[in-house]
Amino acid sequence: MANQPVPVVPLWEIIARSREGTRVEEKAFDMNIFRTASHLKQQFGIRYDPEAPVPADDDMADRLFVAGLQFFLEIGTYCMNTGRVIKFSRDEIEKALLQAPTAITKGDGADCHVTVHRQVEGTEEPIVYAGVQTTMLSDDDFSFRFYRECAKDRCVDGIWGGVVDKIASKHDVIAGTPLEIYAYRKHVEIMRQAVAAAGRPGMVIINNAPRSVATLGLFDRESGLRPTDSWFSNGVSEMKIGYDDLDRVAYGLACGVPLKAGTGATLGGFSGSVEGAAIVAVAGAMQSLMVQCAQHIAVVVTPFHVRSRATRSGLWAEALALQALSRNTHLILDGAHGDHPAAGPGTRQYFYESAAGFISTVVSGGHHQGGTRKFVIGNVPNYGTPLESRWMGEVCKSAVGMSRRQANEIVKYLLEKYEPSLKEAPPGYTYEHLYDITTDRPTSEYSALYDEVKREFEGLGLRSKF
Amino acid sequence: MSTQQPTSVGTAQDFAKRLQGAIVSGDAAQARKIAEEAVQKGIDPLMLIKCGIGESASEVGRRFDTGEFFLPDLVMAGDAMLAATEVLETALPQDKVQDKKVVVIGTVESDLHTIGKNIVAMMLRASGFSVYDLGYDVKSNVFITRAKDLKADIIAVSSLLTTTMPYMRELIDDLQAMKLRERFKVLVGGGPVTAEFAAEIGADGYGKDAVAAVQVARDLLHLVG
Repeated sequence: MANQPVPVVPLWEIIARSREGTRVEEKAFDMNIFRTASHLKQQFGIRYDPEAPVPADDDMADRLFVAGLQFFLEIGTYCMNTGRVIKFSRDEIEKALLQAPTAITKGDGADCHVTVHRQVEGTEEPIVYAGVQTTMLSDDDFSFRFYRECAKDRCVDGIWGGVVDKIASKHDVIAGTPLEIYAYRKHVEIMRQAVAAAGRPGMVIINNAPRSVATLGLFDRESGLRPTDSWFSNGVSEMKIGYDDLDRVAYGLACGVPLKAGTGATLGGFSGSVEGAAIVAVAGAMQSLMVQCAQHIAVVVTPFHVRSRATRSGLWAEALALQALSRNTHLILDGAHGDHPAAGPGTRQYFYESAAGFISTVVSGGHHQGGTRKFVIGNVPNYGTPLESRWMGEVCKSAVGMSRRQANEIVKYLLEKYEPSLKEAPPGYTYEHLYDITTDRPTSEYSALYDEVKREFEGLGLRSKF
Repeated sequence: MSTQQPTSVGTAQDFAKRLQGAIVSGDAAQARKIAEEAVQKGIDPLMLIKCGIGESASEVGRRFDTGEFFLPDLVMAGDAMLAATEVLETALPQDKVQDKKVVVIGTVESDLHTIGKNIVAMMLRASGFSVYDLGYDVKSNVFITRAKDLKADIIAVSSLLTTTMPYMRELIDDLQAMKLRERFKVLVGGGPVTAEFAAEIGADGYGKDAVAAVQVARDLLHLVG
């Protein structure tokens, strides 16, 4: 816990600004995002190139960084609770950027690892937290086996968790009720037992309940989340924050734990154009640093029209934002466009979409620690398998050393395959269809598909290290 | 769509076309000015509401769906429509004033996600609905109370978390328990929500995306044109 410096602007000052900053109507704040991003896009000559979903224009990345910083200085962060805007001076931001750590140790004992600032096209190992996020699992025993199998994969450094589908096989886990606290807490205990059973008792586990009160209940040195795990605080898209998010920040700071945060841009949202989303993504990272006091920052661009983060324009915006931040700061960064594919598990498209995001992130200077996730989950439990978790680890680690130009060619090839079916993506299958539930091994069909796709990627130049 | 300057003597069709241009380009001041000019010249306000505003709403929706327009374009077009409508409605004979269909919309309890809900609200507003946005973390009883107060036609509910989807079911159950189920159409949507889930909980409609949500809302109320 010694690696937690006092933020340049401490939490109490952030809260004071949220209560004393300029009061603005939310609609006016939102429209100002659009106007400012549009203006800065022109001023700094930021231009989207559909032929370069993984861009390699260093000069534009550097201009994007300046535009994003300028945007954050002008716009600030809107506090949903008070209707006021939290702002920072250039001096404060620059000091915070300088003070940010270049490396954080996570995990416990023999299972610890160091997450470092990664360079664009860098050879530093990306740290991968896979597992499954937001998915409901049918019961405690199944959850244990599921997480144990995920934890066995050595290409994965940490695992995300979901939550059990029903308590006592009967009661829905409903956010905002005491069952949220109970279910998430018991689930994290299962995760802790599962990683121990996999022989990795100090492995990083992460979970995040809808409300802070439930998330804070997950922290417990013995059987829950440890200070050596990853503590996460969301922001609200775009350029907003709520006190509920800051509750997690307050608790993390009080405990002296390195925090992770992410505040995204929405393609089609108030950031407007693709270029606007890239500017807002950079500014969102500044918000994560300054408002959410994060030492590890997720850069997120979510397209609105399609339920996939790996769209052509989404890949471009997030990759350029990552490169802008990686080249101009020593922040520890995460990409997010490999999670949330439109296609479901057990489909070829799932592998294509997620790999496009993983590769793009790794060559752009990011780690990938957002877990495997799917938009198309409905209320179907067990919507995922450990094989998608392994895929995330294998692709991320194997993409190290690749140039952006190589990555761009692979991603363009993949886009050709899945782009036409993003809107009507195949929903995929549940665990019961893809795994033998008695042995917890993939079915021969699913194994064959995995191996076939892996060979295809090797043919494209992604040499598997596993 | 043209944004050309008005001709000295405009026909009804000219005004409708100019109004469409102002709305699609998000120019509220110009839309209001054109509406005022049309009223002064005795152009049928009902025709302008249907052709000028109604058709531009469809055009704005189409452009948003194709990615040509973004959320701010919807906001500006919505403001322009509102500005023109205010002027034109004052010129309508009382018996011609048509009540707008009313939608109350919000994100369910314990769910703080807003952007998808905001986009649907904008799209509905741009399509001529009177939309009351209750925000996020909205309790079931608040949806119902506001829907009753506002004499809403539709309650539109969003959820982005699997653990908050049960509140959609709760809302429908509450409406049934209060014998209000037939009074409101319930439209659901959001990241993890599926058509199957919507059918399972007894919702009237499911919007896969914002454009679909508007069409479903129109279908539910049998709106034509």
